[in-house]
Amino acid sequence: MVCGHMKRVTPIRILLAFYLVSATTSVAHAQSTTPGGMPPPPGMSLAESAAMRFPQPVRVGDLLGRDVLRPVESQDVLGRVRRLVRDRNGQIMVVVDFGGLLGFGSRPIAVPVDAMVLLGQDMEIVAFTPEQLRQFPTFSPSGAADLADDTIIKVGLAKPSH
Amino acid sequence: MKSPFRPDVVPNAGILDDHKPLIRSLERRGLIRGGLSLGALVMLSGCDLDRPESVESALLAIGRFNDGVQALLFDPNKLAPTYPASMILRPPKFNAYYDVVDVKPVSGATWRLELSGLIAERRPWTLPQLQALPQTSMVIKHICVEGWSYIGGWTGVPLRAFLERIGADLRAKYVAFKTTDDYPSSIDMATALHPQTLLALKYGDDTLADPFGYPVRLRMATKLGYKNQKWITAIEVTNTYPGGYWEAKGFPWFAGI
Repeated sequence: MVCGHMKRVTPIRILLAFYLVSATTSVAHAQSTTPGGMPPPPGMSLAESAAMRFPQPVRVGDLLGRDVLRPVESQDVLGRVRRLVRDRNGQIMVVVDFGGLLGFGSRPIAVPVDAMVLLGQDMEIVAFTPEQLRQFPTFSPSGAADLADDTIIKVGLAKPSH
Repeated sequence: MKSPFRPDVVPNAGILDDHKPLIRSLERRGLIRGGLSLGALVMLSGCDLDRPESVESALLAIGRFNDGVQALLFDPNKLAPTYPASMILRPPKFNAYYDVVDVKPVSGATWRLELSGLIAERRPWTLPQLQALPQTSMVIKHICVEGWSYIGGWTGVPLRAFLERIGADLRAKYVAFKTTDDYPSSIDMATALHPQTLLALKYGDDTLADPFGYPVRLRMATKLGYKNQKWITAIEVTNTYPGGYWEAKGFPWFAGI
């Protein structure tokens, strides 16, 4: 029973109420009770923290062009995946077109793949804040070797941060 | 001109403050902020706005009403859209009520599927037994109540075939599932028998990975994401409403798409 007694409530009002409230009950706020995409605990290496995020095989070519998000509720777009390279030390780096506005004014930075996670069709940088990323040097291709599109690498996961 | 919907007696506006947490839980991205107004509440209850629990129970009653309407509208033979295999997102998107670092992998060797309720053959099933049953594949969209979606390719045993195989009472109302991550839920029998409802064992030709529910998860093309449980350990067929994890927090039980 919706309510006990119905003083001064016409049937049309009840119908309207059903309409209005049914619209509100069909959507709901984020389901998460714990946040996703938390940064690595202090003292833990990027590789160790990535290993805890159940790294999954993914094709390099499938990562190109993906949006790179910040792991916060507003999911700010930090940039876009331009290419994946192996640097001089053999580390896999994701070259991200970072910053800018509407594609203008961005610059490429190389982010260790272990600092990033897969979030469905997007990626997130979980180990560095935007302030830290702004201090990253602009990527220089010398000494870096592009990974072929068909290369399979492993990248950790995170749940959505909203 | 005075609105014909304006009540003669305006209720205490404090009622919205009393229910701030509940109302906030119903809002998403402010879109419907105006929808649940004091006016809507007036029309909703028309009475007893001073009793906070009456508003909450009224909202939940509306939710149950919506569930009933969705169940009536559900067509057991109508198929949800399917997609080409080239559109499968690999790997799929992870989500749970906790982050991925808290996933507890399940051993396929010791895993058993317990059966209970209105089922003739209730002995537990092993993974090889499930793998030996005829398998079906489907490429469908996973649609989350949070607003995101992705296309995934799933292979496994149609739940209908499994329920028939174990001699379940197909006239029962509910099929309930338990999982290793303490995330119980349940579905209506009509959806359990729908051709796009699978006990999924594989994703895109590969064995399910740990974060996505290995060894067995539920995948339905006709329900929202949160109804699709991972790491299933028990199935019960029953006529007693079993509820579920999010359902107990006020999310719709039917959750059809």
